[in-house]
Amino acid sequence: MKQKLSLLFLLATSALLLAGKVLVVKVLRSNLLAKPDFLSASLAPMQKGAKLELIEMQGNWYLVRNAVGLKGYVHQTAVAESKTNLSGIIPGKKGASEEELALAAKGFNEGNEKKLRGSKGYNFADVDWVMDWNIANTALAAFIREGKLK
Amino acid sequence: MKKLLLICLCFFLLSWKPPINLSKLSKAKKGLELVSGAAHKISEEEEYYIGRAVTANILSQYPLWKNSEVTRYLNLIGKVLALKSARPEIFAGYHFCLLDSDEPNAFSAPGGIILLTRGIVAMAENEDELAAILAHEIQHVVAKDPLKAIKSQRLKALGTFAAGEAIGSSDQVLNIFQDSIMDISGTLLQKGYSRKQEKNADLGAIELLKAAGYDPQALLAMLQKVKAIEKKKAKAFSAHPSASKRIAYVEDNLDQGSVKSGKSSRLPRFNRFVSRPKN
Repeated sequence: MKQKLSLLFLLATSALLLAGKVLVVKVLRSNLLAKPDFLSASLAPMQKGAKLELIEMQGNWYLVRNAVGLKGYVHQTAVAESKTNLSGIIPGKKGASEEELALAAKGFNEGNEKKLRGSKGYNFADVDWVMDWNIANTALAAFIREGKLK
Repeated sequence: MKKLLLICLCFFLLSWKPPINLSKLSKAKKGLELVSGAAHKISEEEEYYIGRAVTANILSQYPLWKNSEVTRYLNLIGKVLALKSARPEIFAGYHFCLLDSDEPNAFSAPGGIILLTRGIVAMAENEDELAAILAHEIQHVVAKDPLKAIKSQRLKALGTFAAGEAIGSSDQVLNIFQDSIMDISGTLLQKGYSRKQEKNADLGAIELLKAAGYDPQALLAMLQKVKAIEKKKAKAFSAHPSASKRIAYVEDNLDQGSVKSGKSSRLPRFNRFVSRPKN
Protein backbone atom coordinates (compact mmCIF):
# COMPACT_ATOMS: atom_id res chain seq x y z
CA MET A 1 0.00 0.00 0.00
CA LYS A 2 2.81 2.37 0.98
CA GLN A 3 4.66 1.53 -2.22
CA LYS A 4 1.53 2.31 -4.25
CA LEU A 5 1.12 5.61 -2.45
CA SER A 6 4.76 6.47 -3.09
CA LEU A 7 4.36 5.66 -6.76
CA LEU A 8 1.22 7.76 -7.04
CA PHE A 9 2.92 10.64 -5.27
CA LEU A 10 5.91 10.35 -7.60
CA LEU A 11 3.69 10.35 -10.66
CA ALA A 12 1.73 13.35 -9.43
CA THR A 13 4.83 15.42 -8.66
CA SER A 14 6.46 14.47 -11.96
CA ALA A 15 3.37 15.53 -13.86
CA LEU A 16 3.30 18.81 -11.98
CA LEU A 17 6.94 19.55 -12.68
CA LEU A 18 6.73 18.58 -16.34
CA ALA A 19 3.43 20.31 -17.00
CA GLY A 20 3.43 22.66 -19.98
CA LYS A 21 3.80 26.38 -19.55
CA VAL A 22 0.64 28.41 -19.40
CA LEU A 23 0.08 31.11 -22.00
CA VAL A 24 -2.47 33.88 -21.77
CA VAL A 25 -4.13 35.56 -24.75
CA LYS A 26 -3.00 39.21 -24.67
CA VAL A 27 -4.94 40.50 -27.69
CA LEU A 28 -8.62 41.42 -27.61
CA ARG A 29 -9.68 38.58 -29.91
CA SER A 30 -7.89 35.74 -31.64
CA ASN A 31 -8.58 32.24 -32.92
CA LEU A 32 -7.37 28.79 -32.06
CA LEU A 33 -6.33 27.63 -35.52
CA ALA A 34 -6.27 24.20 -37.12
CA LYS A 35 -2.84 24.84 -38.70
CA PRO A 36 0.03 27.26 -38.10
CA ASP A 37 -1.45 29.56 -40.73
CA PHE A 38 -3.69 32.60 -40.17
CA LEU A 39 -5.94 31.53 -43.02
CA SER A 40 -6.53 28.01 -41.71
CA ALA A 41 -9.82 27.01 -40.11
CA SER A 42 -10.69 28.47 -36.73
CA LEU A 43 -11.31 25.76 -34.13
CA ALA A 44 -12.49 28.18 -31.46
CA PRO A 45 -12.56 31.94 -30.93
CA MET A 46 -10.45 33.21 -28.03
CA GLN A 47 -10.83 36.32 -25.92
CA LYS A 48 -8.22 38.33 -24.06
CA GLY A 49 -7.22 36.61 -20.84
CA ALA A 50 -7.99 33.07 -22.03
CA LYS A 51 -5.40 30.63 -20.75
CA LEU A 52 -3.76 27.99 -22.91
CA GLU A 53 -1.42 25.15 -22.15
CA LEU A 54 1.71 25.18 -24.28
CA ILE A 55 2.36 21.82 -25.91
CA GLU A 56 5.18 22.74 -28.26
CA MET A 57 6.71 25.55 -30.25
CA GLN A 58 6.84 25.50 -34.05
CA GLY A 59 8.74 28.52 -35.27
CA ASN A 60 6.64 31.59 -34.54
CA TRP A 61 3.65 29.42 -33.67
CA TYR A 62 2.61 27.59 -30.53
CA LEU A 63 0.71 24.32 -30.46
CA VAL A 64 -1.58 24.73 -27.46
CA ARG A 65 -4.51 23.17 -25.63
CA ASN A 66 -7.41 25.35 -24.52
CA ALA A 67 -9.60 25.10 -21.42
CA VAL A 68 -11.87 22.48 -22.96
CA GLY A 69 -8.96 20.37 -24.19
CA LEU A 70 -9.05 21.46 -27.82
CA LYS A 71 -5.62 21.41 -29.48
CA GLY A 72 -4.69 24.04 -32.03
CA TYR A 73 -2.26 26.75 -33.03
CA VAL A 74 -1.81 30.34 -31.94
CA HIS A 75 0.77 32.87 -33.16
CA GLN A 76 3.35 33.87 -30.57
CA THR A 77 2.45 37.57 -30.89
CA ALA A 78 -1.09 36.85 -29.62
CA VAL A 79 -0.03 35.40 -26.27
CA ALA A 80 2.19 36.06 -23.30
CA GLU A 81 3.61 33.65 -20.79
CA SER A 82 1.36 33.56 -17.77
CA LYS A 83 2.68 33.82 -14.25
CA THR A 84 -0.07 31.56 -13.01
CA ASN A 85 0.15 27.80 -12.85
CA LEU A 86 -1.80 25.25 -14.84
CA SER A 87 -4.73 25.38 -12.43
CA GLY A 88 -5.37 28.86 -13.79
CA ILE A 89 -6.75 27.27 -16.93
CA ILE A 90 -9.72 25.96 -15.01
CA PRO A 91 -12.68 28.24 -15.71
CA GLY A 92 -13.88 30.26 -12.76
CA LYS A 93 -10.43 30.68 -11.20
CA LYS A 94 -9.85 34.13 -12.58
CA GLY A 95 -7.64 36.77 -11.09
CA ALA A 96 -5.98 39.91 -12.30
CA SER A 97 -2.74 39.15 -14.09
CA GLU A 98 0.43 41.04 -13.33
CA GLU A 99 -0.02 42.85 -16.64
CA GLU A 100 -3.56 43.86 -15.74
CA LEU A 101 -2.45 45.17 -12.38
CA ALA A 102 0.29 47.20 -14.03
CA LEU A 103 -2.24 48.56 -16.53
CA ALA A 104 -4.65 49.57 -13.79
CA ALA A 105 -1.93 51.67 -12.25
CA LYS A 106 -1.13 53.57 -15.42
CA GLY A 107 -2.98 56.23 -17.30
CA PHE A 108 -3.38 54.88 -20.82
CA ASN A 109 -6.73 53.23 -20.29
CA GLU A 110 -10.43 53.28 -21.12
CA GLY A 111 -11.20 55.44 -18.10
CA ASN A 112 -9.06 58.28 -19.37
CA GLU A 113 -10.40 57.87 -22.90
CA LYS A 114 -13.91 58.41 -21.48
CA LYS A 115 -12.71 61.65 -19.87
CA LEU A 116 -11.35 62.84 -23.21
CA ARG A 117 -14.51 61.97 -25.15
CA GLY A 118 -16.32 65.14 -26.05
CA SER A 119 -13.25 67.28 -25.46
CA LYS A 120 -12.10 69.68 -28.12
CA GLY A 121 -9.35 68.15 -30.23
CA TYR A 122 -10.64 64.56 -30.06
CA ASN A 123 -13.03 62.89 -32.47
CA PHE A 124 -13.67 59.46 -30.95
CA ALA A 125 -16.93 58.90 -32.84
CA ASP A 126 -15.00 58.54 -36.08
CA VAL A 127 -12.38 56.34 -34.37
CA ASP A 128 -15.22 53.94 -33.53
CA TRP A 129 -16.23 53.90 -37.23
CA VAL A 130 -12.64 53.01 -38.18
CA MET A 131 -12.37 50.28 -35.53
CA ASP A 132 -15.62 48.67 -36.66
CA TRP A 133 -13.92 47.46 -39.85
CA ASN A 134 -13.14 43.80 -39.60
CA ILE A 135 -12.19 41.53 -42.46
CA ALA A 136 -13.33 37.92 -42.32
CA ASN A 137 -10.72 35.27 -43.06
CA THR A 138 -12.79 33.91 -45.95
CA ALA A 139 -12.87 37.34 -47.61
CA LEU A 140 -9.14 37.73 -47.06
CA ALA A 141 -8.40 34.30 -48.56
CA ALA A 142 -10.51 35.14 -51.63
CA PHE A 143 -8.73 38.51 -51.98
CA ILE A 144 -5.33 36.78 -51.85
CA ARG A 145 -6.39 34.19 -54.43
CA GLU A 146 -7.88 36.74 -56.81
CA GLY A 147 -4.80 38.96 -56.60
CA LYS A 148 -2.34 36.06 -56.88
CA LEU A 149 -0.79 37.07 -53.59
CA LYS A 150 0.84 34.90 -50.91
CA MET B 1 7.81 5.33 4.38
CA LYS B 2 11.31 6.86 4.55
CA LYS B 3 11.36 7.03 0.77
CA LEU B 4 8.05 8.84 0.78
CA LEU B 5 9.34 11.36 3.31
CA LEU B 6 12.49 11.85 1.27
CA ILE B 7 10.46 12.51 -1.89
CA CYS B 8 8.24 14.95 0.03
CA LEU B 9 11.34 16.75 1.32
CA CYS B 10 12.87 16.95 -2.16
CA PHE B 11 9.65 18.27 -3.65
CA PHE B 12 9.31 20.84 -0.85
CA LEU B 13 12.88 22.04 -1.39
CA LEU B 14 12.33 22.25 -5.15
CA SER B 15 9.11 24.17 -4.89
CA TRP B 16 9.85 26.33 -1.82
CA LYS B 17 10.52 29.99 -2.37
CA PRO B 18 11.50 32.44 0.36
CA PRO B 19 8.53 34.45 1.63
CA ILE B 20 8.33 37.83 -0.05
CA ASN B 21 6.19 40.88 0.37
CA LEU B 22 4.33 40.95 -2.96
CA SER B 23 3.18 44.49 -2.41
CA LYS B 24 6.76 45.72 -1.92
CA LEU B 25 7.97 43.71 -4.89
CA SER B 26 5.28 45.15 -7.10
CA LYS B 27 6.15 48.68 -6.04
CA ALA B 28 9.85 48.00 -6.54
CA LYS B 29 9.15 46.71 -10.05
CA LYS B 30 7.14 49.80 -10.88
CA GLY B 31 9.94 51.90 -9.43
CA LEU B 32 12.30 50.28 -11.89
CA GLU B 33 9.96 51.30 -14.68
CA LEU B 34 10.37 54.83 -13.40
CA VAL B 35 14.08 54.63 -14.09
CA SER B 36 13.91 52.91 -17.45
CA GLY B 37 10.65 54.38 -18.75
CA ALA B 38 11.15 53.04 -22.27
CA ALA B 39 8.46 52.68 -24.91
CA HIS B 40 8.58 48.92 -24.81
CA LYS B 41 7.28 48.96 -21.23
CA ILE B 42 3.90 50.06 -22.54
CA SER B 43 1.57 47.09 -22.80
CA GLU B 44 -0.37 46.20 -25.95
CA GLU B 45 -3.61 47.33 -24.33
CA GLU B 46 -2.12 50.68 -23.34
CA GLU B 47 -0.75 51.06 -26.85
CA TYR B 48 -4.28 50.49 -28.14
CA TYR B 49 -5.76 53.26 -26.00
CA ILE B 50 -2.92 55.63 -26.89
CA GLY B 51 -3.52 54.82 -30.57
CA ARG B 52 -7.24 55.51 -30.30
CA ALA B 53 -6.61 58.89 -28.70
CA VAL B 54 -3.91 59.82 -31.24
CA THR B 55 -6.31 58.88 -34.06
CA ALA B 56 -9.11 60.86 -32.41
CA ASN B 57 -6.76 63.84 -32.33
CA ILE B 58 -5.78 63.45 -36.01
CA LEU B 59 -9.46 63.04 -36.97
CA SER B 60 -10.24 66.33 -35.26
CA GLN B 61 -7.83 67.99 -37.70
CA TYR B 62 -8.41 65.91 -40.83
CA PRO B 63 -11.96 64.81 -41.64
CA LEU B 64 -12.49 61.09 -42.08
CA TRP B 65 -13.55 60.03 -45.59
CA LYS B 66 -16.23 57.43 -44.90
CA ASN B 67 -16.08 55.66 -48.22
CA SER B 68 -16.95 52.05 -47.38
CA GLU B 69 -15.72 50.53 -50.66
CA VAL B 70 -12.28 52.10 -50.62
CA THR B 71 -11.92 51.64 -46.85
CA ARG B 72 -12.69 47.92 -47.19
CA TYR B 73 -10.20 47.64 -50.05
CA LEU B 74 -7.50 49.33 -47.96
CA ASN B 75 -8.25 47.02 -45.04
CA LEU B 76 -7.91 43.96 -47.27
CA ILE B 77 -4.52 45.05 -48.66
CA GLY B 78 -3.34 46.14 -45.22
CA LYS B 79 -4.38 42.90 -43.58
CA VAL B 80 -2.55 40.80 -46.21
CA LEU B 81 0.61 42.77 -45.43
CA ALA B 82 0.15 42.85 -41.65
CA LEU B 83 -0.15 39.07 -41.46
CA LYS B 84 3.29 38.81 -43.06
CA SER B 85 4.84 41.29 -40.63
CA ALA B 86 6.79 40.55 -37.48
CA ARG B 87 3.76 41.68 -35.50
CA PRO B 88 0.74 40.05 -37.13
CA GLU B 89 -1.36 39.91 -33.95
CA ILE B 90 -1.92 43.26 -32.34
CA PHE B 91 -4.31 44.09 -29.50
CA ALA B 92 -7.38 45.00 -31.57
CA GLY B 93 -6.01 44.18 -35.02
CA TYR B 94 -4.82 46.55 -37.74
CA HIS B 95 -7.26 49.12 -39.10
CA PHE B 96 -6.89 51.32 -42.16
CA CYS B 97 -8.84 54.43 -43.07
CA LEU B 98 -8.95 57.42 -45.37
CA LEU B 99 -8.64 61.11 -44.64
CA ASP B 100 -10.54 63.57 -46.77
CA SER B 101 -7.53 65.66 -47.70
CA ASP B 102 -5.76 66.33 -50.99
CA GLU B 103 -2.47 66.73 -49.18
CA PRO B 104 -0.52 63.52 -49.93
CA ASN B 105 0.31 61.95 -46.58
CA ALA B 106 0.06 58.82 -44.46
CA PHE B 107 0.22 58.29 -40.71
CA SER B 108 0.55 55.30 -38.42
CA ALA B 109 -0.93 55.62 -34.95
CA PRO B 110 0.05 53.27 -32.13
CA GLY B 111 -1.95 50.07 -31.95
CA GLY B 112 -2.08 49.63 -35.72
CA ILE B 113 -4.42 52.37 -36.90
CA ILE B 114 -3.13 53.57 -40.26
CA LEU B 115 -4.50 56.67 -41.97
CA LEU B 116 -4.02 57.61 -45.63
CA THR B 117 -5.12 60.83 -47.24
CA ARG B 118 -7.13 60.86 -50.48
CA GLY B 119 -4.14 62.73 -51.90
CA ILE B 120 -1.69 59.88 -51.43
CA VAL B 121 -4.21 57.25 -52.56
CA ALA B 122 -4.71 59.26 -55.76
CA MET B 123 -0.95 59.13 -56.41
CA ALA B 124 -0.93 55.32 -56.55
CA GLU B 125 -1.35 53.90 -60.04
CA ASN B 126 -1.89 50.31 -59.00
CA GLU B 127 -2.54 48.09 -55.96
CA ASP B 128 1.15 47.38 -55.46
CA GLU B 129 1.92 51.07 -55.04
CA LEU B 130 -0.91 51.41 -52.54
CA ALA B 131 0.48 48.36 -50.75
CA ALA B 132 3.93 50.01 -50.66
CA ILE B 133 2.52 52.99 -48.73
CA LEU B 134 0.70 50.69 -46.30
CA ALA B 135 3.75 48.43 -45.86
CA HIS B 136 5.88 51.43 -44.87
CA GLU B 137 3.32 52.53 -42.26
CA ILE B 138 2.86 48.97 -40.93
CA GLN B 139 6.62 48.78 -40.37
CA HIS B 140 6.39 51.89 -38.14
CA VAL B 141 3.75 50.08 -36.05
CA VAL B 142 5.85 46.90 -35.92
CA ALA B 143 8.84 48.93 -34.68
CA LYS B 144 6.55 50.82 -32.23
CA ASP B 145 7.95 54.06 -33.65
CA PRO B 146 4.86 56.12 -32.72
CA LEU B 147 5.26 55.13 -29.05
CA LYS B 148 8.90 56.16 -29.10
CA ALA B 149 7.72 59.72 -29.73
CA ILE B 150 6.43 59.92 -26.15
CA LYS B 151 8.86 61.98 -24.12
CA SER B 152 10.59 59.83 -21.53
CA GLN B 153 9.66 62.29 -18.77
CA ARG B 154 5.98 61.31 -19.18
CA LEU B 155 6.69 57.62 -18.64
CA LYS B 156 9.01 58.42 -15.77
CA ALA B 157 6.26 60.48 -14.15
CA LEU B 158 3.80 57.62 -14.60
CA GLY B 159 6.35 55.29 -13.05
CA THR B 160 6.59 57.62 -10.06
CA PHE B 161 2.84 57.49 -9.56
CA ALA B 162 2.70 53.77 -10.05
CA ALA B 163 5.44 53.21 -7.50
CA GLY B 164 3.38 54.96 -4.87
CA GLU B 165 -0.28 54.71 -4.04
CA ALA B 166 -2.88 53.40 -6.48
CA ILE B 167 -3.64 56.27 -8.78
CA GLY B 168 -6.71 55.28 -10.76
CA SER B 169 -7.54 58.06 -13.19
CA SER B 170 -6.38 61.19 -11.44
CA ASP B 171 -6.18 64.51 -13.24
CA GLN B 172 -2.40 64.32 -13.19
CA VAL B 173 -2.46 61.00 -14.98
CA LEU B 174 -5.00 62.34 -17.46
CA ASN B 175 -2.63 65.23 -18.18
CA ILE B 176 0.21 62.80 -18.81
CA PHE B 177 -2.06 60.81 -21.11
CA GLN B 178 -2.95 63.96 -23.07
CA ASP B 179 0.66 65.17 -23.20
CA SER B 180 1.72 61.75 -24.53
CA ILE B 181 -0.95 61.97 -27.25
CA MET B 182 0.36 65.40 -28.25
CA ASP B 183 3.95 64.09 -28.35
CA ILE B 184 2.89 61.45 -30.86
CA SER B 185 0.57 63.67 -32.90
CA GLY B 186 3.31 66.29 -33.10
CA THR B 187 5.73 63.71 -34.44
CA LEU B 188 3.23 62.29 -36.93
CA LEU B 189 1.89 65.59 -38.23
CA GLN B 190 4.87 67.91 -37.98
CA LYS B 191 8.18 66.79 -36.54
CA GLY B 192 8.47 63.41 -38.23
CA TYR B 193 10.40 60.30 -37.33
CA SER B 194 14.17 60.13 -37.34
CA ARG B 195 15.93 59.29 -40.60
CA LYS B 196 16.92 55.95 -39.14
CA GLN B 197 13.29 55.11 -38.31
CA GLU B 198 12.20 56.08 -41.83
CA LYS B 199 14.98 54.07 -43.43
CA ASN B 200 14.09 51.01 -41.35
CA ALA B 201 10.42 51.40 -42.32
CA ASP B 202 11.34 51.60 -46.01
CA LEU B 203 13.65 48.59 -45.88
CA GLY B 204 11.13 46.63 -43.84
CA ALA B 205 8.43 47.56 -46.37
CA ILE B 206 10.49 46.00 -49.17
CA GLU B 207 10.58 42.68 -47.30
CA LEU B 208 6.89 42.90 -46.41
CA LEU B 209 5.88 43.52 -50.03
CA LYS B 210 7.96 40.55 -51.16
CA ALA B 211 6.52 38.28 -48.48
CA ALA B 212 2.95 39.18 -49.44
CA GLY B 213 3.57 38.71 -53.17
CA TYR B 214 3.54 42.40 -54.12
CA ASP B 215 6.18 43.96 -56.35
CA PRO B 216 8.72 45.73 -54.07
CA GLN B 217 9.65 48.03 -56.98
CA ALA B 218 6.31 49.71 -56.25
CA LEU B 219 7.93 51.44 -53.27
CA LEU B 220 10.53 52.97 -55.56
CA ALA B 221 7.79 54.06 -57.99
CA MET B 222 5.92 55.81 -55.14
CA LEU B 223 9.08 57.53 -53.90
CA GLN B 224 9.80 58.84 -57.39
CA LYS B 225 6.31 60.37 -57.47
CA VAL B 226 6.93 61.92 -54.08
CA LYS B 227 10.20 63.37 -55.35
CA ALA B 228 8.41 64.91 -58.32
CA ILE B 229 5.89 66.73 -56.16
CA GLU B 230 8.23 67.47 -53.24
CA LYS B 231 9.46 70.72 -54.70
CA LYS B 232 6.00 71.86 -55.75
CA LYS B 233 4.24 71.18 -52.47
CA ALA B 234 6.43 71.87 -49.50
CA LYS B 235 3.82 70.55 -47.06
CA ALA B 236 3.60 67.13 -48.64
CA PHE B 237 5.57 64.54 -46.68
CA SER B 238 7.03 67.32 -44.59
CA ALA B 239 7.50 64.80 -41.80
CA HIS B 240 9.68 62.52 -43.93
CA PRO B 241 13.31 62.77 -45.04
CA SER B 242 13.83 63.86 -48.64
CA ALA B 243 12.62 61.43 -51.29
CA SER B 244 16.00 61.54 -53.07
CA LYS B 245 17.74 60.07 -50.05
CA ARG B 246 15.06 57.44 -49.64
CA ILE B 247 15.24 56.49 -53.31
CA ALA B 248 19.01 55.99 -53.01
CA TYR B 249 18.87 53.44 -50.22
CA VAL B 250 15.71 51.75 -51.51
CA GLU B 251 17.41 51.23 -54.89
CA ASP B 252 20.44 49.75 -53.13
CA ASN B 253 18.23 47.25 -51.35
CA LEU B 254 15.98 46.18 -54.20
CA ASP B 255 16.77 43.02 -56.10
CA GLN B 256 17.18 43.51 -59.81
CA GLY B 257 14.02 42.73 -61.75
CA SER B 258 10.54 43.29 -60.44
CA VAL B 259 7.93 40.71 -59.53
CA LYS B 260 5.59 40.87 -62.50
CA SER B 261 3.41 37.87 -61.84
CA GLY B 262 -0.05 38.68 -60.60
CA LYS B 263 0.29 42.45 -60.96
CA SER B 264 -2.09 42.61 -63.91
CA SER B 265 -4.68 40.48 -62.12
CA ARG B 266 -4.86 43.12 -59.37
CA LEU B 267 -5.41 46.01 -61.75
CA PRO B 268 -9.17 45.51 -62.36
CA ARG B 269 -10.02 45.68 -58.67
CA PHE B 270 -7.71 48.64 -58.14
CA ASN B 271 -9.48 50.49 -60.95
CA ARG B 272 -12.84 49.46 -59.53
CA PHE B 273 -12.12 50.73 -56.02
CA VAL B 274 -9.60 53.50 -56.35
CA SER B 275 -9.56 55.06 -59.79
CA ARG B 276 -13.19 56.06 -59.71
CA PRO B 277 -14.22 55.97 -56.08
CA LYS B 278 -17.85 56.68 -55.30
CA ASN B 279 -18.54 59.28 -52.67
